[in-house]
Amino acid sequence: MPDANSLPTTATVRIQRFNPDNDKKPYIQEFKVPLTADTTILDALHYIKAELDGSLTFRRSCRHAICGSCAMNVNGRNKLVCKTPLTREMDNKGRVTIKPLPYLPIIKDLVVDRTSFWEQYLRVKPWLIPPDNVPEKEFRVSPEEVEALHNAETCIMCGACYSSCQVIAMTKQYVGPHAALKAYLRVLDPRDTAPGERLIELSGEDGVYRCHTIFNCIDACPKNLNPTQAIETLRKLAQKRQALEAERAERQKTLALPVKSNE
Amino acid sequence: MYKSTGFISFVLRRITGVVLVLYLFTHILVIGSATQGKEAFDATLAIVQGPLFKIMEIALIAAVAYHAFDGVRLLIVHYFNVIDYRKSMFYAAFAVAAFFTAIGGLLILQLLLYPA
Repeated sequence: MPDANSLPTTATVRIQRFNPDNDKKPYIQEFKVPLTADTTILDALHYIKAELDGSLTFRRSCRHAICGSCAMNVNGRNKLVCKTPLTREMDNKGRVTIKPLPYLPIIKDLVVDRTSFWEQYLRVKPWLIPPDNVPEKEFRVSPEEVEALHNAETCIMCGACYSSCQVIAMTKQYVGPHAALKAYLRVLDPRDTAPGERLIELSGEDGVYRCHTIFNCIDACPKNLNPTQAIETLRKLAQKRQALEAERAERQKTLALPVKSNE
Repeated sequence: MYKSTGFISFVLRRITGVVLVLYLFTHILVIGSATQGKEAFDATLAIVQGPLFKIMEIALIAAVAYHAFDGVRLLIVHYFNVIDYRKSMFYAAFAVAAFFTAIGGLLILQLLLYPA
């Protein structure tokens, strides 16, 4: 963080505006906002909405990077604006450019239509399908099995990866990095009974094989997750789907048993 | 447009792929003229010996080299966990392709400037 004394007192925030009622196409509007060392981009947006232009429209909720509402395109990169300091994104003239997430239909200003995002998410059945013999107290899952899921379970569904994906730019039929990551979480979960069904869905024409390994999703993810590695893993698992199903059926026989005392 | 190294690599992969398909058609057209006799083949071949086509051949080497080594990069990504080195691998594919293009290009230029 720069020295507080050397900091300029204002920043120029350039925002892409679009009101479907009046505008034919989006345009850039500049606002001057007061700057301190700990001003986030979301703070700047709040200031603009409260003090300068009440018609500015954007999504936000929690303000501490867990709700996934405020993903936007800042200087050409998808980020959560609530956890991005304004000073980090300013160029040497003190300017920051904020646009809505790319490749998605704009509803107004910085708000995009995420319908396709959720449609693809539901396509992979993001919920757990547990076995019939649910134990009274808890499932016994090994630390190694939990560790393998760690990559996927902290996803906050902000859409930063989805709208940075070049394949999504070409076709909204593609499953998308977010849904692939969620599918990975369920397929590798030893409690899930339908890994084969999920892999059949994912190995189709618009599934994981459509990924071009451009890696934009990894660079865009505000939680440092790795959808590309999940996609590569799902590609390999889809090749040996029946072996995985057999292994899973075998594993679930011991899933509800209490842990042995010598373990 | 979400510009990144991966995006440039992806666009180049697509363009060089199309270039290679177009080259294949031209190649078949030139070689195929042999079915119409020796004179026809010689005449067609003479057209593609000009300096313009030599320069285009250097571009062809660039397209082949980039497409091939980007393919090698993709194979490595698919079979090994090298995602931490993703940026370096893009640059490696660019560099190796540029190296082979330079060697091939210099050989062609040598033939063009100092015909044996």
